[in-house]
Amino acid sequence: MATKSTYQNRIELLQGTLDMLILKTLQWGTQHGYGISQAIRATSGEVLQVETGSLYPALHRLERQGWVTAEWKQSDSNQRAKFYKITKLGKEQLASDYERWGKMVATIEGIMTARRGNA
Amino acid sequence: MSMFQFFRRKRDLSEEMECHLKMATADRVARGESPAEARRAAMREFGNLPLIAEVTRERWGWLRLERLMQDVRFAARQLRRTPGFTITVLVTLALGIGANAAIFTLVNAVLLKDLPVGDPKTLVHVGNDGHDCCVGHNPARESGNYSNFSTDTYEQLKKNVPEFEELAAMQAGWGYRPIIARRDGALAARSVMSEFVSGNYFRTFGLNPSAGRLLMDSDDRRGAPATAVMSYATWQHDFGGDAAVVGSTFWVNTKPVTVVGVAPRGFFGDRMASSPPEFYLPIETMPDLANASYVHNPEVNWLYVIGRVKPGVAPGMLQEKVNAVLRQAFATQSNFSTENGKKLLPRVHATLTPGGSGIQTLQEDYGAHLHLLMWISGLVLVIACANIANLLLVRGMGRRTEMSIRTALGAMRGRIVRQLLTESILLAGVGGLLGLGLAYAGARMLLLLAFPGAQNIPIGAKPSLEVIGFALALSMLTGLLFGVAPAWILAQAKPADALRSGARTTAAGTSLLQRTLVVLQAALSLVLLVGAGLFTQSLNKLQNMDLKLDARNRYIVHINPQAAGYSQTQLEALYRTMEDRFMAVPGVVKVGLSTYAPMEDMRWNDWVSIQGQPKAQGFAGFVKVNGDYFDSVGTKMVMGRGIDIRDTSTAPAVTVVNQAFVKQFLEGKNPIGQRIGQPNMPGDFEIVGVVENTVYTDVKLKDASMYFVPLMQRAASDKGPIEQDLSLYTGTMVLETARPMNDMEKIAQRTLAGISPNLTVVRFQTFGEQITEQFTEQRLIARLTMLFGALALLLATIGLYGVTAYSVERRTPEIGIRMALGAERSGVMAMVMRGALIQTALGLAIGIPVAIGCVRYVKALLYEITSADAQVMAEAIIALAVAACIAGIVPARRATSIDPAKALRTE
Repeated sequence: MATKSTYQNRIELLQGTLDMLILKTLQWGTQHGYGISQAIRATSGEVLQVETGSLYPALHRLERQGWVTAEWKQSDSNQRAKFYKITKLGKEQLASDYERWGKMVATIEGIMTARRGNA
Repeated sequence: MSMFQFFRRKRDLSEEMECHLKMATADRVARGESPAEARRAAMREFGNLPLIAEVTRERWGWLRLERLMQDVRFAARQLRRTPGFTITVLVTLALGIGANAAIFTLVNAVLLKDLPVGDPKTLVHVGNDGHDCCVGHNPARESGNYSNFSTDTYEQLKKNVPEFEELAAMQAGWGYRPIIARRDGALAARSVMSEFVSGNYFRTFGLNPSAGRLLMDSDDRRGAPATAVMSYATWQHDFGGDAAVVGSTFWVNTKPVTVVGVAPRGFFGDRMASSPPEFYLPIETMPDLANASYVHNPEVNWLYVIGRVKPGVAPGMLQEKVNAVLRQAFATQSNFSTENGKKLLPRVHATLTPGGSGIQTLQEDYGAHLHLLMWISGLVLVIACANIANLLLVRGMGRRTEMSIRTALGAMRGRIVRQLLTESILLAGVGGLLGLGLAYAGARMLLLLAFPGAQNIPIGAKPSLEVIGFALALSMLTGLLFGVAPAWILAQAKPADALRSGARTTAAGTSLLQRTLVVLQAALSLVLLVGAGLFTQSLNKLQNMDLKLDARNRYIVHINPQAAGYSQTQLEALYRTMEDRFMAVPGVVKVGLSTYAPMEDMRWNDWVSIQGQPKAQGFAGFVKVNGDYFDSVGTKMVMGRGIDIRDTSTAPAVTVVNQAFVKQFLEGKNPIGQRIGQPNMPGDFEIVGVVENTVYTDVKLKDASMYFVPLMQRAASDKGPIEQDLSLYTGTMVLETARPMNDMEKIAQRTLAGISPNLTVVRFQTFGEQITEQFTEQRLIARLTMLFGALALLLATIGLYGVTAYSVERRTPEIGIRMALGAERSGVMAMVMRGALIQTALGLAIGIPVAIGCVRYVKALLYEITSADAQVMAEAIIALAVAACIAGIVPARRATSIDPAKALRTE
């Protein structure tokens, strides 16, 4: 099992990316906070363990910006929980975030594979 | 987002995170862990729940307020845990802030507030001297500065300076203000205060009536029917707000006057005074109602002038124009037709000053006192703050561990400072609120002390908005003042200190600050004590002065025969009747009648000269008296005879002078037989006797020349009609009785009413009361400075005690070692006392020069005291030294009872 040491929990580094991951998770269906963290963990094969210290601030920020909405509902275990749902605005944001992510990856790839002493 | 929504979302967030924990726990339990273990693991995995909640809430943008609320709640909890400390601080603060707010109530009402009139900012007072009073011919002055004008001058100003939108005139002095008013149909007449004003008085002040109408120009014309406006307070108190008052007839000085309306609520006239007018009457009614002869005399000045300026008028130009008109008006006056007068005429001017707060007579009288009181109460507050700062430091020392741990856990220094400051400000805020309550009580007491016996003082003791604002601002300031230094010092606590026991690393800095504060307190206390000593000394000097009179069993009855309708020709018979009726009262020994009595707020001056000595000229005070007068006030004859029954109105005019008169005008020569009079008629009165220098009006005038003339006698050269001679009216009756009579006032009222129902008692006092009334101000200041001095001393003592006790506690191990090594108990005590006394000595070293230097600022308020003499200084120093010893003794004794073995084990 991958250790936590491969995962750096720095809110600044992951902020944009975390937002993207959360939105993607929600695109698969409404979910509560715990569920989102479990989903990301599972989908990443136990590599990414989102700490609650990043998750909840992110969720509330997303709610504030209107990319998700929240509703209190009964969960499967018959508990009252706050369920988040992605909005149309959120879907648009997800798409643009993903595009930007792709560009970023390509740029960094370009730097990493560049040869030294290019004329 | 509102507060309500904020708290709801906060609850929701907690529930959300709790739910997360539950689910995580449930999952773990499902995987086989025990519930307790699962919960613990889930919580560990979750992380720092409160921190995460806080960071999350940060996203909502309410962090600052939330932190503040948190700080406040925490501070309140901490304060509740140490009730002794909290109560001490609150009481100290309430006293300090309350005293300041009480004095500010007065300062605000007297010095800062404008008159309750419309648009006070555009009002202009033609003149700058509230003491240029009251009725007389304006002499040619070197300064050329005038504030008091004749009716003629006022008319000229009104006509020739159109830049004044309105220009109103009002009486400068208090002559004829007391009137006797009786409502048509009522039985009893009352003596009340009035004021004669111009027809446009109310219009100039921009006022609206609360009933009926106010005076108009048409009321102020010769021959117009007499009208009056009543004050709101009188309307409510005496007539219950009865609407029928408007339009009803009042018999003022036995003449009918129609009350046309009531002044607006809260209006008390054009100046602050202890007895504001109850009736406002037009100037043109004065000759008729009060038989005042000077209203139309172009040379007699008796009016103050206030006006409203048209917008856009340049002040410099207006001033020039006013001055020019004044010079033109004065040029025709006889005082300016002499050579000297002509020379000084170009200097004539009246300084235009802001008129929004009215005529400044009271302000000029009390201003210096109020400033002094503000300074003193401010100093006491500083001393109180020093005490509280020390208390906070000591308390903080006990929380050092807490501070270290908090720093170790990641609290920012700024956060800790902020939290400690919140504590200070919370204390200060609550203390301030308590202080407001004290301020109300204090202000009432101050008003009672400053204006004893006055009924309608226009100053309210209730804290107004300005006072509340002042108290709150002061609380915040004091909270910062005493909170900042301790907070800063405590926040320097190093995290490692918490792990080290018995650490005293920050103690050094604290101790220095504490000791500095105590030295400061001692110095300030000394200054205040010296001040109190000086004012008490001044008061004693005044009160113990030999006024050369006798006040035992004497009663003063103020009367107003003129207002009661007696003409001059009826006076001789009236006085005889009064003397007879009062002598018939059992117990009355002497019945004195005079224009005014000693130590009364009244004085008449005349320019006199001696026959045969043209160079001997000068001002002398002047009183008309009956035969019994000198005995009734206790003035002793020194030479010759007094006034007796042979001095009737038809007998040759005689006078009795006082010793100062002989000294000033006759240089010790035999005065009997000499003749005195006005400079152009020096032979009017023959001197038949000399009396001692009884003090009239003010102790500062104790060596003033005076001459006394029989009541009904007139100067031989005075050929004017008797109906115009106002000096024949007495204002005062002085009764001497064989023994104290407590019902004298009622007896006097009855006897006078028996002579005429209009002869009311204008004012009744015992002679003693009248005299002490002259010292009201000095007594007030002496009492207050004593009170504040004592308070300062008490606070400084408590401060010194606290610091000494704390240092003993801190040095317990050291003392234990000393005693274990053989130090005597007395040696230990001496060591502790030495510390306390050194601080006091330093305080004295600073305080003494400061006190000596400050005397010059209060010299003006003291009577014949120019420097802090040795006795006052010595008393103050001894008081402080004794207090220091007391403060030091208790901890010193406690130090000696330290068990060395236990002390060494204290760690």
